[in-house]
Amino acid sequence: MLREGALAGLKVLELTDQVSGQVAGSFCARLLGDAGADVVKVESPQGDHYRKSGPYPGGVPDPDCSGMFLYLNSNKRGVALDIESPGGRAAFQDLVATSDFLVLGQNSSEVQRFGLSRERLSESNPGLIVVTITPFGLTGFNSAYLGDDLIAISSGGMAYATPGIPDRVEDPGREPPLRSNTHMAGYLAGVQGAMASVAALLSRSMTGTGCEIDLSMQEAVAAVMPFELAHASYHEAKPRRPEIFGVMPNTYLPCQDGYVVVMAVMDAHWRNLMVIADNPDWAELEVFSSGVERARNWDALEPLLLEWTMAHTGAEIAQLAQERGIPCFPAYTVGQMVDSAHVIERGFMVDMEGPGGQKFKLPGYPVRLERTPWKFFRPAPKLGEHTSEVLGEWLGYSDAQLSTVGVEAR
Amino acid sequence: MTTPPLPLEGIRIADFGQIIAVPYTAQMLAWLGAEVILIETEDRLTTRVWPPFAEAEPGVNRSGGFNLVNSSKMSCTLNLRDPEGVALAKQIIAVSDVLVENYSSGTMERMGLGYAAVQALRPDVVYLSLGAFGRTGPMKDLVGFHSVINLFSGLASVTGHKGSHPRIMGGLFPDAFSGCYCVLALLEALYHRANTGEGQYIEVAMTEVLATILPEAVMKYTLDGTEPERVGNRHQEKVPHNVFRCLGDENWVAISVEDDAQFRALAQVAGIPEWAEDPRFSATEARLSHQDELEPLIEQWTLGCKVEDVVEKLQAAGVPAGPVLDSAQVLADPHMIQRGFVQSPDHPIVGPRPMGAFSWTVDGGQPAIPRSAPLFGEHNKKVIQELLQVPGEEFERLMQNGVIR
Repeated sequence: MLREGALAGLKVLELTDQVSGQVAGSFCARLLGDAGADVVKVESPQGDHYRKSGPYPGGVPDPDCSGMFLYLNSNKRGVALDIESPGGRAAFQDLVATSDFLVLGQNSSEVQRFGLSRERLSESNPGLIVVTITPFGLTGFNSAYLGDDLIAISSGGMAYATPGIPDRVEDPGREPPLRSNTHMAGYLAGVQGAMASVAALLSRSMTGTGCEIDLSMQEAVAAVMPFELAHASYHEAKPRRPEIFGVMPNTYLPCQDGYVVVMAVMDAHWRNLMVIADNPDWAELEVFSSGVERARNWDALEPLLLEWTMAHTGAEIAQLAQERGIPCFPAYTVGQMVDSAHVIERGFMVDMEGPGGQKFKLPGYPVRLERTPWKFFRPAPKLGEHTSEVLGEWLGYSDAQLSTVGVEAR
Repeated sequence: MTTPPLPLEGIRIADFGQIIAVPYTAQMLAWLGAEVILIETEDRLTTRVWPPFAEAEPGVNRSGGFNLVNSSKMSCTLNLRDPEGVALAKQIIAVSDVLVENYSSGTMERMGLGYAAVQALRPDVVYLSLGAFGRTGPMKDLVGFHSVINLFSGLASVTGHKGSHPRIMGGLFPDAFSGCYCVLALLEALYHRANTGEGQYIEVAMTEVLATILPEAVMKYTLDGTEPERVGNRHQEKVPHNVFRCLGDENWVAISVEDDAQFRALAQVAGIPEWAEDPRFSATEARLSHQDELEPLIEQWTLGCKVEDVVEKLQAAGVPAGPVLDSAQVLADPHMIQRGFVQSPDHPIVGPRPMGAFSWTVDGGQPAIPRSAPLFGEHNKKVIQELLQVPGEEFERLMQNGVIR
């Protein structure tokens, strides 16, 4: 199939073993496919972990229709191979030999066990870029450690830093660090893996040779915390304490019907906020005269603002504020976000349909590239859907050869 | 052996980034070998004048919030409210390959530096605009920091303890995560440009970046209207899956058990093998419905242990576990130091300060080593006199008139 996009014409082979449920390898490969590369996902005959994970459109488990699988594997073709068998192993090696990228999302022991390091693979394919995403990386004291999203979010510093600025923790000694109920570390590592991949591609354009990228999920988390790390690096402040709030208000407060975001960091915003709060007598106090002062004295300011927000609904505050250019609005649930006029007008969500005609949406692509726009080229593959197609197209396998690879082609 | 060239060697970037998201983006490009010229305006400074400051002493060259997202860049200080300042900015843009910005919607256009104007100066420019809500749609003019983006995108609604209120993710997550998508997009656009000679406009909405990690919640809601619940650190399939207090102050260990074999191993390590025989805990399904009973038992054990001992013993037994590290512990972590993730570029005013670098190695080494962040206006002469070839007398005049400052 003729593909468009910045990476059109490049071949990506993905092998991800997802017993630990990490999404990083699959997401990394999907992003390369989103940019137009021809991505082939290799699955074992049992199929990817996320085929068994849901949510399912009809509520009934269907390995070809799990929401997470559909999301992580759109814009890919699918090959089913038993790489533990000699035939499957040989076919896999042939696929590697013709690929530009090999994306591996596994525990480090699996990478070693299958001999998938670039050192081993580069003889047949010196331009190959191997991208390995593991919980703690392939080198270093802890490289053999097992891990998943919770472990990466925790050991990368993000759990400790959550609730984050400017969310208050009454007793940092007792309130446990927190993760979000998402696969955050996996997505972080996936996007960074794709970054590293395209950077390596630019290097390859100059040198002609590929390389081995060894990405650690722990570091992928720590890498997005420059602000918190700066606090530790510059004056030894710990997260989850008001002294790192910086400038305020930049927060959410309870209101009559839920929560409302109150953001007035700039002094002009603050003055306008005080106007819509009916110019209370504390508005002019020296202790609230700048964003930094308001952060320093947040203990005193919060209850005063709370008195005002609790007298209104989120929508009332949002309207008053937005008329004066202050970015306040009610906190949204996932559903309110999906249904918001803004998200709808920008056309961000992608319309999907389940096997029984069930309509649903999945998030689209958050970057609009004018010349090489993202497209939903194809839905995620059924298990083994393209085995014969890909082995024929990439390797010129005949029907007779296909029967030796260990999996019956559909 | 000569060092191979970095991926972005020979690429110049005009950086109009504000606060974290776009500065972080441009920093990564600088690390990857691009020459990044940060264009700063004295009355529009953000992180430079915000804490954290070295030893809590304010100063434009002392902010960690600035120095840790602007390393390896050059600083050029122009008064962009003065037409002569804008004219100099245009000269810089004309010799740059990439422009990145995250001012409020319309600000670049008002300065005459919008995409159309810049394309006239540099037809093959790659121009990236990032906004909290993007550059189109009914909310495009709203400003939003990370807290706003957490709360609009729905992320906060899936972050928090059971039965409690939404919480904001740490690490200014929306900024840096958006920065990662921006870096990816720019690298792709530069690859496309190398192949076709064609530049392009790139637009990013931070709220949409966050929504990319919520596929299950979006799908469930659009199928049957179900909103996700907050579940703390728990997981729908793995149990136990939480953080547990250990010996000492503010010490926690993260433990994630995937199956019954791992649970048996955990019970052995804890010295209470009977857990694995207890009908409440022996199988995943049962454990999922008895978490309220199981978690305190585990914490009774971990409370008497050091974090590192629990991690080491569980990992040796094949159970995923890790320390809950705070920021200082991240920077002091022997494993990440060994991999080269922690770097300490020496800053002329605040000295060497540890920071996080690349989350990946290339052929066993860090792709590049960050240089310290620039002092305020440090590269004015280099950029304006050497790069733009403005004569010395003219440079002095521009300085005296406050165009360069």
